[in-house]
Amino acid sequence: MVRRPTRKRKSTVQQQNKRYSRTKSRIKNRLLRWPHWRKTVIGLAVLFLAYVVFLDVVIRVSFEGKRWALPAHVYARPLELYPGVRLSPSQFNQELERLGYRYAYRPTEPGTFARQDDRFYLITRSFQFWDSKEPSRQLDIHFADGRLESLRDASLDKELTLARMDPPRIGGIYPAHHEDRILVQLKDTPPLLGQALIVVEDRNFYSHIGLDPRAIARALWVNLTGSGGLQGGSTLTQQLVKNFFLSNARSLWRKANEAIMALLLEWHYDKNEILEAYFNEVYLGQDGNRAIHGFGLASRFYFDKPIERLTLPEVAVMVAMIRGPGYYHPYRHPGRLLERRNLVLDLMAQQGVIRQSQALSAKQSALGVIQDRTTSANSYPAFMDLVRRQLKEDYREKDLTSEGLRIFTTLDPSVQVTVEETVKQQVKALDRQRGLNDQLQSAVVITSTTNGEVLAMLGDRKPGYAGFNRVLDAQRPVGSLLKPAIYLTAIEKARQYNLLSLIDDAAITLKAQGGVTWSPKNYDGQSHGEVPLYRALVNSYNLATVRLGMKLGFEAIEDTLHRLGINKSIPPYPSMLLGAIELTPLEIAQMYQTLASGGFRTPLRAIREVMTADGKPLQRYPIHIEQTVDGKSIAVLTSAMQEIMRSGTGKGVRQFFPEDVELAGKTGTTDELRDSWFAGFGSDYLGIVWLGTDDNQPIHLTGGSGALVVWSDMMRRLQTQSLLPSAAEGVEVLPIDPESLLVAGYSCSGKVNLAFVKGTAPEYYAPCAGGGKR
Amino acid sequence: MIKALFYFLLVGFMLMLGACTTAPEKPAGFVVGEEQDKGEQILPDDRTSKTVLALLDSAQASAKAGQLHNAEAQLERALRIEPRNAVLWYYMAKLRLHQNRLAEAAGLAAKSNSLAGKDRKLRADNWRIIAHARNQQGDLAGAQQAQEQVDQLKQ
Repeated sequence: MVRRPTRKRKSTVQQQNKRYSRTKSRIKNRLLRWPHWRKTVIGLAVLFLAYVVFLDVVIRVSFEGKRWALPAHVYARPLELYPGVRLSPSQFNQELERLGYRYAYRPTEPGTFARQDDRFYLITRSFQFWDSKEPSRQLDIHFADGRLESLRDASLDKELTLARMDPPRIGGIYPAHHEDRILVQLKDTPPLLGQALIVVEDRNFYSHIGLDPRAIARALWVNLTGSGGLQGGSTLTQQLVKNFFLSNARSLWRKANEAIMALLLEWHYDKNEILEAYFNEVYLGQDGNRAIHGFGLASRFYFDKPIERLTLPEVAVMVAMIRGPGYYHPYRHPGRLLERRNLVLDLMAQQGVIRQSQALSAKQSALGVIQDRTTSANSYPAFMDLVRRQLKEDYREKDLTSEGLRIFTTLDPSVQVTVEETVKQQVKALDRQRGLNDQLQSAVVITSTTNGEVLAMLGDRKPGYAGFNRVLDAQRPVGSLLKPAIYLTAIEKARQYNLLSLIDDAAITLKAQGGVTWSPKNYDGQSHGEVPLYRALVNSYNLATVRLGMKLGFEAIEDTLHRLGINKSIPPYPSMLLGAIELTPLEIAQMYQTLASGGFRTPLRAIREVMTADGKPLQRYPIHIEQTVDGKSIAVLTSAMQEIMRSGTGKGVRQFFPEDVELAGKTGTTDELRDSWFAGFGSDYLGIVWLGTDDNQPIHLTGGSGALVVWSDMMRRLQTQSLLPSAAEGVEVLPIDPESLLVAGYSCSGKVNLAFVKGTAPEYYAPCAGGGKR
Repeated sequence: MIKALFYFLLVGFMLMLGACTTAPEKPAGFVVGEEQDKGEQILPDDRTSKTVLALLDSAQASAKAGQLHNAEAQLERALRIEPRNAVLWYYMAKLRLHQNRLAEAAGLAAKSNSLAGKDRKLRADNWRIIAHARNQQGDLAGAQQAQEQVDQLKQ
């Protein structure tokens, strides 16, 4: 039973084998009998087929896989709105302009606002933030006395405690070809857009198979007869294939490839998928380096609105531009574009997409493109440079330029704009004043004293200039900016030094490296004898500082500098004590950040969060703080640095600030007046300003006559807040009579307020205060 | 009688509505994970704005749901609004402690202390965090000093 069928099968197999071999030999014989040309044809056909298969794979892989490399998008901080926040109506108005909110008599859609003096009514855009999605809200906001007074959700008729605006986009990180786009889905686009596109570019789109013989014939006819026509010979599919896979070369080979690929694309994908890809691929102009691709971005870029809100004339403008975004450029050739737009509208009416009356009224409207914002891609180059460098520590370049990451930064555009305006004016004025022929350069950085966030940065006196970033790359001698570190080293030895300890400001000669001698001088060329510690710092006496520094030792000072956040090794030469070490403005900012935040070293940050293209959290850059200096010592040092701003080298600040605003800072000047520095802070902002020239020429400015002026004007415009009394335990602030260096009273004149670690202050009242023990 | 009852209920209802639409009157603390110490929570003081209280609510909800990254972001938002609010820094320290990021927790607790003024309870808790962090990091002498601060403040 078991064997028989096996045998039977065997015999069948044998029979089959025989049959196969017969067929095989028959084919072989036939092939042998074929003439050569037939073999060639077959060979070519096989090759062709293989090539088509290859193209097919290419098409499917790129069409189905990631279709576009999306640049990373970089955002400034979102503006938080809450009752009491310091924000003026004009500042808020500027923010709305930055965000592209449009004025409307009666706001009805997200991104529009109305204003009546101090009152705003607006509809915010929704936005996916790291911690939550901020919904679109109808806000009714009232300002008073430079603050936000009330915040209401008008649709819910409810007071709000907090609302967050969408963050302004400040730039992108682009791949080599600099393409940028906002991906859209067909279903989110106005139907008119697709209809207009089809009418103008490819009337038989929904019926052809990728190629349109009628259109080709018509195009040929137009070419031969020279009669003008609106429509070309390529289908949308061919145009897409060309942009997608092929070069711009006009060759037969390219045309053939284009045709095959168009057919394949149509074979695999339905019309709407192809149309959607076209919507996202189409090239629509340049924004500086950035190439504007796709209707999504173009609609944002030219009309400042999401694609779904494009009106009929705007749709016609978009479609009109396709044929030649350079030739029909909205800013360079508005006339041409308008003419072509009207042609598009006529054609739409002619083909029944719109009514004649619609076309007529649309033709009456202006182009409607918003003001030329073509510089937006290159705003804030210095800050973007810092963002890029911080990102590169964690991300590959390829991911930054292709994954569409959303980078949320700390930049405060309103602070940045203030910095830019101040520098533009003040540096120009100083340059003229000192006859520097526009050679005077500047670098500025502003951070938040409390969390180390970089709020603004300027690497060149010309704000948009993206060349040498002086904040990060200009290594300059820092001069007296180093002094606070030396005095802090002394103050930390509270048993040995307080601000009234006397140090000698007599001339000194020291052996420097190589056996040469070094005889530092005071700025005024004088020696001031025995001076209290605070006065040596307040007046930036060099001799007293060198003597103090030599006593403290290089190692102790280097240790202090490291604790303040300077990571460089410090050369153990006496001239170091007067700032003969080179640091960048950012490094100085790091050092002063520790002073401004009460002794907590906080790495400066430019990035808060990174999210994926679809709004999922990826990485946070949280605040890190470490106490590296005792709060009491910082409080004592700060009180002396406040005196600098009242009576010392920083007193020029009073031309910009009233006496009751407490600020702390330090000037820095280098040999032959080559660098002018100022570093200082209020309770909210820390600002560093450097002035100098790239070829290290004397600029005839001290820290006080140059950088301080820029700093003061900038901080005044930023309305930096007065320092608050230190909350450090174990510190007391006392008025001191500068004559007797004892505790002053009401009747004493010229008293200075200085802080002391408890138990180290003078025990007696000054004669002007009646004397006696406290 | 019925009318009076009606008005009573109406007023009650309105009050309830009011309570729903404004920020919570009584601030909650910030509890993250299964805390060892089930003792009394440290609450934000009276000067804390409604805005910050609302953010603290969100942060607490995030922490409860295990979304510590969100809680962290919300606490940082609160800190940008009130950078001198010692309790916020303390909550950040607690978050870091829970994540076993000890050095950071100690730094944040120290920051909180630098702003805590005369709030002995808060300072004691910050020192406790510092003591714990130092202990875990093997700095026994430092932990001992911190613990002495705790004991002193608790007296």
